[in-house]
Amino acid sequence: MKTVISSWLLFRLLFQPTAVFEELSDTRPEPHSVFFKFVVWLAVIPPVFAYIGASNFGWRLGAAEPLFMPPGELILVSIAYFFALLFAFVSTAVVAQWMATTYGARHSLGIHFALVTIIAAPLVVGSTIHLFPHVFLNIVVFIPALMWSMYLLYRGLPIVLKISPERGMLMASALIGYLLVAAVSFLGLTVALWGQGIGPSIGV
Amino acid sequence: MLDAVEAIEGEHYFDRVVTALVMFSVIWAVLGMAVGVYVAAELIWPTLDFGQPWLSFGRLRPLHTNVVIFGFGVSALMGTAFYSVQRTSHVPLFAPRLAWFCFCAWQIAVLLGGLSLLAGWTSSKEYAELEWPFDIAITIVWVCFAIVFFGTIAKRRIKPIYVSNWFYGGLIIVIAMLHIVNSLAIPVTISKSYSLFAGAPDAIVQWWYGHNAVGFLLTGGFLGMMYYFLPKQADRPIWSYRLSIVAFWAFTYSYIWAGPHHLHYSSIPDWVQSLAVVMSLILLAPSWATMINGIMTVSSASQKLRTDPALKFIVLSLAFYGLATFEGPMMAIKSVNVVSHYTDWTIGHVHSGALGWNALITFGTFYFLVPRLVGTALYSVRLANIHFWMALAGTMLYVLAMWGAGVSQGLLWLSLDEIGELSFSFKDIMASMPPYYALRFVAGLVFLLGAVLMTYNLYMTIRGRRTIHVRPPAVMSHQI
Repeated sequence: MKTVISSWLLFRLLFQPTAVFEELSDTRPEPHSVFFKFVVWLAVIPPVFAYIGASNFGWRLGAAEPLFMPPGELILVSIAYFFALLFAFVSTAVVAQWMATTYGARHSLGIHFALVTIIAAPLVVGSTIHLFPHVFLNIVVFIPALMWSMYLLYRGLPIVLKISPERGMLMASALIGYLLVAAVSFLGLTVALWGQGIGPSIGV
Repeated sequence: MLDAVEAIEGEHYFDRVVTALVMFSVIWAVLGMAVGVYVAAELIWPTLDFGQPWLSFGRLRPLHTNVVIFGFGVSALMGTAFYSVQRTSHVPLFAPRLAWFCFCAWQIAVLLGGLSLLAGWTSSKEYAELEWPFDIAITIVWVCFAIVFFGTIAKRRIKPIYVSNWFYGGLIIVIAMLHIVNSLAIPVTISKSYSLFAGAPDAIVQWWYGHNAVGFLLTGGFLGMMYYFLPKQADRPIWSYRLSIVAFWAFTYSYIWAGPHHLHYSSIPDWVQSLAVVMSLILLAPSWATMINGIMTVSSASQKLRTDPALKFIVLSLAFYGLATFEGPMMAIKSVNVVSHYTDWTIGHVHSGALGWNALITFGTFYFLVPRLVGTALYSVRLANIHFWMALAGTMLYVLAMWGAGVSQGLLWLSLDEIGELSFSFKDIMASMPPYYALRFVAGLVFLLGAVLMTYNLYMTIRGRRTIHVRPPAVMSHQI
């Protein structure tokens, strides 16, 4: 069984997702190799795009002037974004591994790292839109990216983790439940930080 | 013992009233959701009211909420409660004529109540807009509902009261209490009354009602549905029966305190707000205990998904139940609420529960129930599968649109300029919202079209068929 994942795999994912899933199902990657070869780099892309976009164009919320943050604070927010993405990635992989026992799926952490990398890839592609940080535009672009991502989750999970499509459907839905909760926690935490004076200044 | 067996042989469950309630629930779902889509369109194109008061947002919005909650939701709950209480008690309904009265009177109350809202009758209390004549009618129907339900439990042939009945029973008792107290008013004319409470106490009573209507109707009632229909569909006993009972009592105890979180940063006492925050956070435990119980019950029944499209809806509804019951306590925290309050984030939260949890679990239950009521297979599994993806897409789009709109609003109307004044006027902020509202309109339309597809599917399943007679099983002597 192979332990290394080729970098081409991510690009082939665009055109031949099923072939990629099948190849992965015969692979036993090491978590640290997936993490340092793919995850760290993928997690750098959205904050870099967001930094470039926000410093050049400012965040546009639709009403009046774009919102510019001081450069120092923008760097801090972008770094926080990077770590939040890493946390989101690792926590999702660990939760998926935890769920694997219930659904009789493969249990190695490396394969869950690889699976979450694949699911996250469309979102990283979608993050290109951070270069022009208009909130509504970002949402509109992220919707097809999310649909693509969910398609990969439902289609890929049973193949990669070697379980029946029905069990895969149940596990993918449970994972969606976790991801929804994680997304809304992220939103809540961000808003609570605004109230503490971190991020855009609001009159609280 | 012989007498008892003979009596069983001559009787059957009263399911015709269940079929009728399910059919009307589906009709109200389509009507209520269509009104929702229309008001969503009005927020983008305000002239859609054509200058008619009865078509204005102010009248159509309560029509949407009332038809969906009381028409679709309560009809579904009443129907499934009548269906499951017979089967978990092994006896036919107590007072079936009274059950028919509940059905007829409830549908008339929803129809006339809806028309009264269009005519401009309103108590102006959210989710309790109907005026005093309807409040009295609702009380009478509800008491009859209680008599049929608890009467059936009283004459049950097996000793334990199954957990779904605890939740349905909680729904009936608590909603009666909330409705009666919150509707106390002094009538002035046939179409107008004034609340018995004044000022801040009125607001506290209103949100004690409002939040617990969400709690015991939209959560507790539908949990009753889940606890009966999920194990049935999965063909497995509930994962942990003990956990379900513990969760029921924890849920009942903690929910009732959480209402004042709707009134953060208002003129109600600060300690009442803080208490609501604490109890809202505690509420997460029983809510998630139930979610875990549901997910674990279904986890070993994956082969059922091959043949039964209904189970998918219930599985996904549990994911959205998890989201909504986490998001609620989070939004009750004052430092989050300061941004989220009075924004569309709240509307998104409500719909992640209403579409993702209530509607999906009800759709799943109907796809399971209707073919069994008329003794046939579902007309089209393919249409049900298409409906599933439309419902998921509609809900996700809706939630995303409202998260974007809500967080933008929260940020914009708290923004201050250099001299400490508000940077943006309310009008400026609302003028930037149409793109989000257009997205929400599309989301609602997709969800509604899915419901129309279900209506056609269920109609073709029922068409030309009668509700079949099902007999209670023979009862063992030790169970009597």
